[in-house]
Amino acid sequence: MAATIAGFGALTLLVCLAAPLVGTTSIHLARVFDRTIPFTDNVDAQVFFVARLPRVLAAILVGSSLAVAGVVFQAFLRNPLASPDTLGLSTGATLGAVIVITFHIDTAVFGISAVPIASFLGAAIALGIVWAMSVARRHGTSTTVLLLAGVALSAFFGALNRLVQVLGDFTDTFRSIRWMMGSLDVGSYTDVAVSFVPITAALVAVATLPRVLDLVSLGTAAAESRGVDVRRAERLALVSASVLTGSAVSLGGPIPFVGIIVPHIVRLIVGADHRVVLPAAALFGGTFLVLCDLLARTAFGAAGMPVGAVTALLGGPFFLWLLFRRFR
Amino acid sequence: MRRRALRTIVAATVASLAAVFPVRSVGLQADGDPGSVRLQADRATVRLKPDTTNRGTSTDGGAHRIISIIPATTEMLFAMGAGDRVVAVGSYDRFPAAVEQLPRVGALLDPNVERILSLRPDLVIVYGTQNDLRTQLDRARVPYFPYVHRGLPDITQTIRAVGDRVGVSAAAKTLADGIEKQLADVRARVAGAARPKTLLVFGRESGSLRNIEASGGVGFLHDMLETAGGIDILGDLKQQSVTLSTEVVLARAPDVILELRYARGDTTAASDLRAWDALASVPAVKNRRVLLLQGEEFVVPGPRVGAATERLGRALHPDRFK
Amino acid sequence: MTIVEANDVSFAYERDGARVLDRVSVRVPRGGIVGLLGPNGSGKTTLLRLMSGTLTPASGGIVLDGRSITAMPRREIARRIAVVPQETHSAFDFTALEIVMMGRYPHLGAFELEGAADLAIAREALAATGTSRLEARRFATLSGGEKQRVVIASALAQASEVLLLDEPTASLDLGFQLDITALLTRLNAERGVTMVVSTHDLNLAAALCGSLVMLRAGHVIAAGDTRSVLTNRNVRALYGVDAEVVDHPRARHLTVVPLARAE
Repeated sequence: MAATIAGFGALTLLVCLAAPLVGTTSIHLARVFDRTIPFTDNVDAQVFFVARLPRVLAAILVGSSLAVAGVVFQAFLRNPLASPDTLGLSTGATLGAVIVITFHIDTAVFGISAVPIASFLGAAIALGIVWAMSVARRHGTSTTVLLLAGVALSAFFGALNRLVQVLGDFTDTFRSIRWMMGSLDVGSYTDVAVSFVPITAALVAVATLPRVLDLVSLGTAAAESRGVDVRRAERLALVSASVLTGSAVSLGGPIPFVGIIVPHIVRLIVGADHRVVLPAAALFGGTFLVLCDLLARTAFGAAGMPVGAVTALLGGPFFLWLLFRRFR
Repeated sequence: MRRRALRTIVAATVASLAAVFPVRSVGLQADGDPGSVRLQADRATVRLKPDTTNRGTSTDGGAHRIISIIPATTEMLFAMGAGDRVVAVGSYDRFPAAVEQLPRVGALLDPNVERILSLRPDLVIVYGTQNDLRTQLDRARVPYFPYVHRGLPDITQTIRAVGDRVGVSAAAKTLADGIEKQLADVRARVAGAARPKTLLVFGRESGSLRNIEASGGVGFLHDMLETAGGIDILGDLKQQSVTLSTEVVLARAPDVILELRYARGDTTAASDLRAWDALASVPAVKNRRVLLLQGEEFVVPGPRVGAATERLGRALHPDRFK
Repeated sequence: MTIVEANDVSFAYERDGARVLDRVSVRVPRGGIVGLLGPNGSGKTTLLRLMSGTLTPASGGIVLDGRSITAMPRREIARRIAVVPQETHSAFDFTALEIVMMGRYPHLGAFELEGAADLAIAREALAATGTSRLEARRFATLSGGEKQRVVIASALAQASEVLLLDEPTASLDLGFQLDITALLTRLNAERGVTMVVSTHDLNLAAALCGSLVMLRAGHVIAAGDTRSVLTNRNVRALYGVDAEVVDHPRARHLTVVPLARAE
């Protein structure tokens, strides 16, 4: 168990070290760290430290968050098809961003542009609604109720999304669509640093839950009869997973596939025990997204491709391959 | 007694129906101009009296009730003096100010066919790609002009074509010639000057460098840039719009970055341009040649394109435009 | 000596809704097997959930070994009382051993990992239910009878004092029904595990349980040892069915043969 996690960790480290070295522009490591060249003149260093490194860090944070959120939702909703968006969180986050883009609320607060802030707020509002439903029910929330609430919320926010886009003009719509395809090209460490705090806090909170996730995946009654305070655990899980999703979407846009596929891929490799699945998902989610982003920015010429398209193209066939291997 | 009552009832019913439903589907309608009446029913439009006004007759193919859902062609029509023939415009048309008084019938994605037909146009200018709309106009026997969005030379070509179609060829020719002269002027002014490597950006998340939308090597913006004496650093990318990564900007090291802002009420402050400071090695940043250009004329490939190109020229070669 | 008792408990799922249980009292003797009988909706499952502390009664209380369970933390209850539900579905691919190990949860501290002792207890529980060879198999691929035995093992690993079983053989075929009945009887005899079994299979109750409690519409209509409670009259009162209760010579316990609906 520890060896597996160490293996995942090593892979993540390797990918993180290698990724900033690869790209459409060839750079020389020696020049990057050459202190004699002033930073403003050192193109290699700029490419490494401004263009690529923040991107890699953002990919780790976003990939990790989405993967862990996916694991948590799949366990609590007892549904292997659940994802960070099952409860409408990333649709809510998207709505926040689309509103800001369409109505040109182009202010920046403390160096963070309005779009990520609005999208985090959107996710928070979605969480608030789901939370209200969770609290209103006695004896923990029946997962059917939670799922239905999430589907309805997702549909509602999605519809509002489209409505807002109609209100905007063509270029706003185009910008919204681009945003929705995801982008990790943050170009600054501020965004990364700001997201780092809530993401880390949420990951720590989730780290207290692996056994609970195992038990809850058998059913609320089964978990309660084994001594789990399901309501308290559910709230902690919901809030943490929502913070993870909201932060990830505001940092990189609603990148699809990571939150639903990475948990599955990890489970196919390590089994169902959440004490291994959680850390493995956190590590592999980051790795996966760094690799997808690498492909997105190198394999399609200078124009590149949105990272969301790559996660979809890559994730699907990889998953199918794993399934065939396992069930041959 | 009964028969009388029946007659009264029938008369009252018909009268009230006539009052409630304007007789439209089959019947006589007064046309916009006096002396002409059209009988219109389902699929046929037949003029009962020849058009004897001076605005060109249907026999010469001119148009007098024009709907233009494309901002560029709307501007063209007004610029060539045919503005009074325009009865409706698209959702995004803004210029000239007169269009604000006109009814709007949708645009590329959502044309309101019912509204278009109800205005009884004799020419509808549509996007070449709006196949559904074209089919419906065909069915209704309403003539249309398909507009295709291409490069700079196509603008004057379109002006001439629209002018011919509408029946104001002379005015159109004057307009097109004028624009071509403007462009030639700019070309002449910047001839021989060192051409700076330029990046043309028309969108970006404010306060950051995320989701940079730039003009690629295809389309009228690219042509304008080249005419104004700049080298498009994205000239090799055969797309009209490119989502650009910071790495590519660093690698291609433009000498000038032009940020276009065109939305109404866009109050982007010059301070927002500071976001580019993160890319310190880019010559445009080092030499403080990151410029903001505000105006709709940069995104409408219409009659103002000459003026827009001149503005680009001024931004790139200020010394040549004293 | 009573180990668990329900004292005058009442419960309703909705705040002003109909009472599912109305002042029900049940005494479970230590080492005994008590059957809860009754038609659907009579409150059997609710009573089990009250006993395990999952639900809180509107009035009355549950007492475990002389202490009210409301005074006990959830985990402590879980260490002494385990529940075997009718069916267990796992959304993920846990192995049988992993399912059994989950029973050790209430015995661990906040961040404690299972140790060798826990593993030994889990394996022993598997052995007790005859499922050692299924240890590494995926739970979802087991047969119904195998699954139930693994779940019973999980309950044993969790709490070896009291087992609450909710319709344990309802979804099993005849062969597995006999297996489970034999297993439960053996566990009771060899390890003194107290059991409360809710069922509406009268023959199972007769074969397995030493005492019975008959519940109808939230009330206890009869309670006592099996032979005195399981009578033609009581069966008619409980199910509205005319049946013949016979002491079967070869089965060596009572059997109930339903004949017709009572008028």
